[in-house]
Amino acid sequence: MSMENEESVKKLFTAESAKVDTNKGDAYYDELYISCQKRIEDLKKLTPLNNRVDFTESIEDQGLERRDFLKWASATTAMLMLPASFTPLVAEAAVLMNRVPVIWVELSDCAGNSEALLRSDGPKIDEIILDIISLEFHETLQAASGHQAEKQMNEAMEHFKGKYLLFVEGAVPLGMNGGYGTIGATGETFVDHLHRAAEGAAAVVAVGSCATFGGIPAAAPNPTDSVGVMDVVKGKPIINIPACPANPSNMVGVILHYVLTGSIPELDSLLRPKFAFGYRIHDNCERRAHFDAGEYVEEWGDEGAKNNFCLYKVGCKGPMTFNNCSIIRYNEGVNWPIGVGRGCIGCSEPDFWDKYAYERPMANANIKAPTGGVEKTVDEFGLGLLTAAGIGIGIHAAASAVAGKREDGGEY
Amino acid sequence: MKAGYRQVKRRTGALRIIHWVNVLSMMVAIATGLYIAAPYYQTFMADSAVDKYVMAWNRWGHFMVAIIFDVTSIIIFYLTFFSRVDRPVKKIIPNKENLTQFWEVFLNLVTLNRRKKFNSEHNDSFNIVFFFMFHFLMIWMLMTGLQMYVHGLGSGLSSIGNWWPWMLHLVTDWTVPVAGWMVGGGPTTSIMDVRISHHITMWLLITWVVVHIYYQFWRTVFWKEGDISIIVGGSKYVKIKEGEEKK
Repeated sequence: MSMENEESVKKLFTAESAKVDTNKGDAYYDELYISCQKRIEDLKKLTPLNNRVDFTESIEDQGLERRDFLKWASATTAMLMLPASFTPLVAEAAVLMNRVPVIWVELSDCAGNSEALLRSDGPKIDEIILDIISLEFHETLQAASGHQAEKQMNEAMEHFKGKYLLFVEGAVPLGMNGGYGTIGATGETFVDHLHRAAEGAAAVVAVGSCATFGGIPAAAPNPTDSVGVMDVVKGKPIINIPACPANPSNMVGVILHYVLTGSIPELDSLLRPKFAFGYRIHDNCERRAHFDAGEYVEEWGDEGAKNNFCLYKVGCKGPMTFNNCSIIRYNEGVNWPIGVGRGCIGCSEPDFWDKYAYERPMANANIKAPTGGVEKTVDEFGLGLLTAAGIGIGIHAAASAVAGKREDGGEY
Repeated sequence: MKAGYRQVKRRTGALRIIHWVNVLSMMVAIATGLYIAAPYYQTFMADSAVDKYVMAWNRWGHFMVAIIFDVTSIIIFYLTFFSRVDRPVKKIIPNKENLTQFWEVFLNLVTLNRRKKFNSEHNDSFNIVFFFMFHFLMIWMLMTGLQMYVHGLGSGLSSIGNWWPWMLHLVTDWTVPVAGWMVGGGPTTSIMDVRISHHITMWLLITWVVVHIYYQFWRTVFWKEGDISIIVGGSKYVKIKEGEEKK
């Protein structure tokens, strides 16, 4: 955070951390309901953008019933922090999701977020929905490459100018004039590519921790000078869906919110949707009772680990991490890190690789000094400081003793 | 009172109580805070979970003394300006007199009491600046602590009303970017920065306390001024000089 200009100082003193308003009152929701209804009517009039199969058909193809779909719709309504009366609207909006064009660009990353939305064992509804969205361009998934791919992207950007949602996966390397990452046959740098794609977007959705806060590419010492999308793209609505990988449920949640209301969901100070990142993992953790009881896993595989004790002492960062994975878990509720017996590494937080993911309590961590390079644990630093003070005191006391007691050191 | 001495009132009863309450609170805050940072003792495996509530009790104790600190801080802030005796604000204003006194006390300290060209009957500027450092660290400690605490009230509800988390967010949210700026790292910040800063500030405060205790003992032993009695009995006793009228 630079303190160089007035703007950042202003930002400093008006920053808001997560503050979740789960009940905005009947009047608000009544009005929202009517506007959502109208929006869905309008969307119905539009023709689907792609020629893929109908949503209801693809659900049946996957061996799921309409009952499963409605269960999903009510769960998603709850996740979006909307009243239960919105469930039919959410169900309708899900069917209409192929009316919203999506362009997906990939920058400095491992494609883990694409994997997250593709690689589920048996596709569940979240994944099917991500299948039927009108994905106009996705470098990793499409067959086209080289000049062909570029042409396709340009056409999509031209055709849907001002209407498409831009999904960005991966950090933006700024070092060497962006030279650390180029894309396509023309050798366009990642940062130029992002600027070009963002220009005509209705909103930019940064997916995964790399795209949101720089993630692992931006970890110390950050040789490529990587940053997140929000530090590059200005003047566009930006939604961050961090986590490594981002949970497909939250991606669907954001698109669905956009389809349903025509606006982006309420965001926190890090531009994360509050419906997903309003609470700490810790607040809804299944092992929370062990935390309060002081029952911790002391080392991997010990008796505590066998008894599902709290993972705080082996470095769980749930108390500092805002995400909804303790509620909705991953892969449609199959499991999540703490469920498999390893601590949270805070993957949805800024600088998580340096400040969260060291697998021991914060007080025992080797945190890099701001100048870089020097590693010292916080407590070692504290003890060092204390020792320095002690030595100073010792010298002073010894010198004083030698100099002797004097009631009046001089004239006054 | 011993003959040949006169009494100088220095601290009111309220201030002395606050001082010792703070001492106790601080010891509790450090003991529990270190446990919260990295639990340093274990519970018995065989005890059933309902009988152990160790982390919760530690957090309870930590928050309780934090709230006590919050309240005493507000009182101290008030007394800085409106205390009956020795208003500290008079000595913190950087005017010529105070700067000279600060410099003189410092020189006296490093020359091991060889040039005492200042009045040590009342608060001196050096000491007040030193106390101000403590208050400054303490404000940061309380603000960062409340920032971390308010996230436990994520729903925006609390037993004493919604105004409480609302106010805490309003008053402490700025600590997130400030802590991030201090801790360093990427352009974005999170409450982990607040937490790291809170922990480091604890060490700064402990160091401050060690120096404070030494300094007061030093003044008492080497200046022979009995400064420690200020915070116990409220007054110090100054030898009446020749030519000075007896009061």
